[in-house]
Order: sequence, then structure tokens, then C-alpha cells
Amino acid sequence: MQSDMPSPAGSIVITGTPQGEPLASNERILLEAVLKKDRKATAEFVTRYADPIYGYVSQRLAPRADLVEDLVQEVFLVALQKLDTFTEKSSVLGWLLGIAKHKVEDLYRARLREPESLADIEDSSQAGPVDLPGFDELIDRARAQEKTQRILARLPEAYGLVLLWRYWEEHSTKEMAAQTGKTEKAMERLLARARAHFRRLWEGEGS
Amino acid sequence: MNDEQFFTILAANTDARRGAGERAPARLKSRLYSTLIAGQTASGPLLSLPATQAAGRPLCVFENLLRVMPGGERVTSMNPCRVCHARVLAEHFESPPIYWPHCPYVEFRRR
Repeated sequence: MQSDMPSPAGSIVITGTPQGEPLASNERILLEAVLKKDRKATAEFVTRYADPIYGYVSQRLAPRADLVEDLVQEVFLVALQKLDTFTEKSSVLGWLLGIAKHKVEDLYRARLREPESLADIEDSSQAGPVDLPGFDELIDRARAQEKTQRILARLPEAYGLVLLWRYWEEHSTKEMAAQTGKTEKAMERLLARARAHFRRLWEGEGS
Repeated sequence: MNDEQFFTILAANTDARRGAGERAPARLKSRLYSTLIAGQTASGPLLSLPATQAAGRPLCVFENLLRVMPGGERVTSMNPCRVCHARVLAEHFESPPIYWPHCPYVEFRRR
């Protein structure tokens, strides 16, 4: 089972030009043309990078598909504004994914700071123990994937985000607390409620 | 298995599949392009159409019309897409009925 584990969640795997290597000449030519405001180059820039950025943002924001398109647009706007500061230390895609990662985390922070996102959420911290699903169940990745997505979509927004941030983005509770202006205890309580709610739904759905 | 282990394993086993290979909708690409061009236009004129063509990038029929119009670089640096029906359709529909060769909005739809 361990050998089947994918790369740590939240890490960015860049295909194509590896980080640290010189920028491919066609990428350099494209960027120079975009900086010269060549409209066709700008179209090519969108064509080349919209899919991987969209895929990454969808992945990070799932199941909040309604937020994805606006965030992708923000990534490209920031990229355009900062294009002249691009240092070629990474591939263009790596650079864009870095912007996307920051934008996603900004969104997590903003959403979890909103008091209303935590209000009106049923306090399930006192819920009784729920049996954890069998480990074998997790082996079927496709099924687990589908079920996870479905359950995340059913959770209150704050619960879904806090679980994604903690486990899929691999941020520590301390870091999340600091970034949202909450105490670590408050963040732990929120996580506990989110986990309990998730587990109840998981159990309720069966396998 | 405690809570922490459960969620760690669940995240590790489901993350790789989420959104993998998912492609951006054509209408999003269209909107991205329009937004970027608007941003570029706001900070000064675009590269002129003759210069764009000279760089080896073919123009659409409307851009070609603009290219041969009198008025010099002021005209050929304008963005005709701003008033083009192809842009409007492409920003709102996934498969808009637009077919002009070398129109970026048509290209977004095809990919």
C-alpha cells in the first residue's frame, strides 16, 4: 500500500522544463512577444497555460467549482502584471503554478477569516465515536476519490476548506491559525468538527 | 487508525486524481484572452498588426481589413476583437458558431 502512495499532496509537479534549467527558447520568444503586446502571442500564452493552471486550481478548490474560473483569471492577470519581473529561475508553468498556489491560499485565508463561514454550522464536536472506514476501502482509489469529492461538496464551506487546507495542502494547524488570525485551539476545534462531520457522511454513504 | 492517519491517507490517495487532466473551458480561455488584451491595451497600444504579421503570426479577416486601412499605426494597433461578434459568442458559449481562420476565439474552441 505504501508504495502506491502518490507524491505528497500540495507539492507541484512540473512537467516539461525542469526547474533550474534554462528557459526553453520557444518559451522565451513567446514571453518576449507577450511583453511587446503581440496579441497573437497573448492568445498562445492563454492556449498553452490555461489548461494546466485550470487543472491545478480545480484540484485545489474541489469541490468549489464555482470559484475556479475567477481564480484562474486572477492568476493570469497577476502574471501579466509581473511578466517583466519573471526571472527564468523556473519554467513559465512553474512560475504560473506558484502564483496559482498563492492565490488558492489567499482564498482559503479569506474564506476562513469570514465570521459567517463559521457561523450557523452545527456544532458536531460532541458527536459520538464513529467507526473509521476500513483501510481496504481506501485502496480503491477511484471509488474513494469519487466519494471524497461528493462528501466534500456536501460539507459546509468552512469544513470543506479547512480539511482541504490541512490534509490536501498539508498546512499545519498552527500555520492555518496564524494565517486566519485564529487561535490554534480554535482551529483545532474547527478541524475536529469538520473531521467528525466528514466521517459521519462517509459512514452514512457506506462504500 | 486514528483521525489524523485516516485523513492523511485519504488525502494522499485522492489528491493525484482530482482535476488531473482537466481542461479549461473554451469560454474561460476566451475571457482570459479578452481580459489580458484589455489589460495590455490599457497600458498603451498593442503591437501593430503589420508587425504582428511580420513576426509570423497570421491575422484574421477583420485584422487584415484593419491592417490595410489608412490611419497608420494608430489604427493598426487597435483591438478589433473588442467589437467583434466572435468574441462575444466565444465568451459565452462553449461551441460558438464562429469559423474565421486565425481568429484566437476560434482556436480556443478547437483545442
